[in-house]
Amino acid sequence: MDYRVHLAKRMLTNKKGSLIGAVLAVSIGILVIHVNFVIFQGLYDAIVRDLSSYRFGDVRITDKESFITKSDIFLVNWFERIPSVEAAAARVESSASINVTKHGKLIEEFRVPIVGVDPFRDPRVSTVHETVTDGQYVFSRNSLVVGSSVARDLGDIRIGESLELKVIDRHGQDQIRRFLVTGIVSSPGGQGLDTSVIVHIDTLRDMLSREGETGQVLVRLNDPKQADNVKEYFLQTFPNDDFRAETIEESAEDALRGFRSGIAMINMIGYFGMMSSAFAVVTIQMMLVSSKTREVGIMRAIGARRKDILVLFIIQGMIIGAIGASVGTAMGLSYTFYAKETKMTFQGSLPLQVSYDWPKIAQTALTAFALAVAASIYPAFKATKLQPVEAMRYV
Amino acid sequence: MSDTVLEVKNVTKTYGQGDTKVNALVNVSFSVKRGEFLLVVGSSGSGKSTLLNMIGLLDKPSSGQIIIDGTNTTSLSDNQVSSFRNLKLGFIFQFSNLLADLTVLENVMLPQSIQQRHNAAQEAATLLRAVGLESQMNKRSNKISGGQAQRAAIARGLVNKPTIVLADEPTGNLDSVTAETIIQLMKSMAKKLNQTFLVVTHDRHQFGDVDRVITIKDGRAFEGEDQPHKMEITI
Repeated sequence: MDYRVHLAKRMLTNKKGSLIGAVLAVSIGILVIHVNFVIFQGLYDAIVRDLSSYRFGDVRITDKESFITKSDIFLVNWFERIPSVEAAAARVESSASINVTKHGKLIEEFRVPIVGVDPFRDPRVSTVHETVTDGQYVFSRNSLVVGSSVARDLGDIRIGESLELKVIDRHGQDQIRRFLVTGIVSSPGGQGLDTSVIVHIDTLRDMLSREGETGQVLVRLNDPKQADNVKEYFLQTFPNDDFRAETIEESAEDALRGFRSGIAMINMIGYFGMMSSAFAVVTIQMMLVSSKTREVGIMRAIGARRKDILVLFIIQGMIIGAIGASVGTAMGLSYTFYAKETKMTFQGSLPLQVSYDWPKIAQTALTAFALAVAASIYPAFKATKLQPVEAMRYV
Repeated sequence: MSDTVLEVKNVTKTYGQGDTKVNALVNVSFSVKRGEFLLVVGSSGSGKSTLLNMIGLLDKPSSGQIIIDGTNTTSLSDNQVSSFRNLKLGFIFQFSNLLADLTVLENVMLPQSIQQRHNAAQEAATLLRAVGLESQMNKRSNKISGGQAQRAAIARGLVNKPTIVLADEPTGNLDSVTAETIIQLMKSMAKKLNQTFLVVTHDRHQFGDVDRVITIKDGRAFEGEDQPHKMEITI
């Protein structure tokens, strides 16, 4: 082994306090980035996951102008023949007015989004049915599932009560129908249909006078990474139907754009934290150089070149960087593992979608290592400037 | 091979400028032959350590030349000076100056490790046996006594078979019994290896019989021991 490597190791192990301080500085820098990633990327991915699960699917098909007139059965069957497609289902969306009455007297009228779902196919593409906290999901033409926010606005409406909904059909006529409340949905994080009401798709089609038409077709994939391929294949197959096909990122662009900027800023803050760690390494290395002035003088006196001294302290930086990057990555991975296994949530919000982003983990470790080495260059350079005859006076 | 291993020619070292100018060495000249055991004596502040630093290439003279083994060292670059120190000079300091982070053996190996020599451990171990430190080889250098540390320093000074070994008050930090042992060790190694030693000391009598003595007084060098009538050496 090169004597400089050996000496650098010994010098560090004999200054355990400095070594631990420098390693902690590097590892905490890495840990901060891992924690940021787990929380903010996890939150972003959780929102994407929930928007995909509840509202948009992995691919969403709509009409550029209005409703889809092609048969939903045809489209669903077409999609389900593609091997990478798990399931597809149609939905219709509109808005409805709800009258709140007490003792037969109108208290308030407000508008809510209304979603028409296929009770048999929808659970295969969406997990909205899993957010039913009371009662059950839509099962008949007059059943109504109410979002928890709507239920609250209606004075904590209960299962079994009836409710009148008014929609305006395609001819501009009011269509009023009474429903039986069969379920209440509430999703963690509120990305589900908590602010909507859910009815049978055919009932809503009737009310809107849009028999056989569809608002959107949600497509669930076995592998979400195939979304672009499925979308392109669909658009190429139906070039003249004015279809719009969007992946989840495109469908939820408005909701996610701001969040992405936030993540970028948080990442920047994480890297600034890592820079602070580098300054801590500079300080500790300067202390190490100061405490080794005599040794540098002795080495120079017995023939070590300036380059040898430079290499010696840079090797120290490499050792600090390697140990710090390893410890920090191990700490970060432990935190990620804990967050993933416990399905970490904050104050009952949506569970984070935690993943191991190996390229980013490697990039963070390498950046921390490189910064620790870079942070050692100046102290090492200072050490080379020590004149042996001056350094030897430090006995 | 020339018989003269060291030539100091008109070396002057001046510190400061103007009113604060101090002449630490003034026109010092002398030469040393291979195998000589030379003492440089003088009172504290006379300039003997400054002279040793010049010869050891740890400091540069303001004027004059220092020629070691036929090489004029004043014209060497920083890297060449480092290599020269490593290959041609051995150092023994007052406080032994072993690296506390290394074992005794590793300290003695260090001059050869700097050259990336592969048999460094073997040569260092041979020398440590010769100075009686066989049993202490693998101890950390700060875990041995002052006398043992100075023996290790002698071994380190000799390991590269240098042209000249420079010792700066090598017994200055030792009790009289240990000091006597160290002096005898240096003398015996000098004889056994035909090794040139240049030893700076303020205590002439501790060393007994030596080949030559040079006295430094007020920055000037005189042949022999300090006597008022001695003539300044000129080459």
